[in-house]
Amino acid sequence: MGFDAEILNTGFNPGSRLNKFSKTCGDAGAIASFIGRVRGQSGEVNQLRLESYPGVTEQGIEQAIEQAQRRWPLASVLIIHRIGIVAVGEPIVLVATAAKHRRAAFQSCDYLMDYLKTDAVFWKHQSGPDDGEWIEPRQQDYADKTRWSET
Amino acid sequence: MLKIYYFGRLGERAARREENLVLPEGVTSISTLKTWLDRSHDLGGALHDKSVKTMINQSLVHGDIALQGNEEIGFLPPVGGG
Repeated sequence: MGFDAEILNTGFNPGSRLNKFSKTCGDAGAIASFIGRVRGQSGEVNQLRLESYPGVTEQGIEQAIEQAQRRWPLASVLIIHRIGIVAVGEPIVLVATAAKHRRAAFQSCDYLMDYLKTDAVFWKHQSGPDDGEWIEPRQQDYADKTRWSET
Repeated sequence: MLKIYYFGRLGERAARREENLVLPEGVTSISTLKTWLDRSHDLGGALHDKSVKTMINQSLVHGDIALQGNEEIGFLPPVGGG
């Protein structure tokens, strides 16, 4: 049983972390997970550079986990998020949730990803072959997040 | 000593991610500090932009707040999501 958030500035292996997580879930019958990777976008993106605000970023994620715990009966949660330079194809985020039944695991995983995509304290710079830009959440990301205020 | 952090595009604009600063003469509050930094680093008013949030000692603040000179201050442009 555990509710953990990690911000890493080096690469990680989602498979091995998920395997390790599964051993902390007690008798939970369901584990849902999401792995986000840096999209290539047909050669337009070479890498992402992510910044966090140490202390503030972790606190925000921990509060989101607490909110998820209030909404669903969760056995364990793990969130791993990269900062630093992340190349195309590399994992940028892992969210894993464990619960007695599948619906709570699926929904809480989705909920936490929507938090990470819109409100988590990260700044994301995308570099392409010629230049780069700071990117912000899309309208779709905000629309996804509003689903949880309707339920 | 103030510890100041500039995140995201503000870091590029200020050409620094962080700095330590003795409270400059005449700077008594977060608003006067923003104006001083804006002039000092040629930020073009970026710190006064409404989209930029200010944290003092890792807590969000609104409006003008008096400074003692030993705070950690973060200037946060809109977050980019994970």
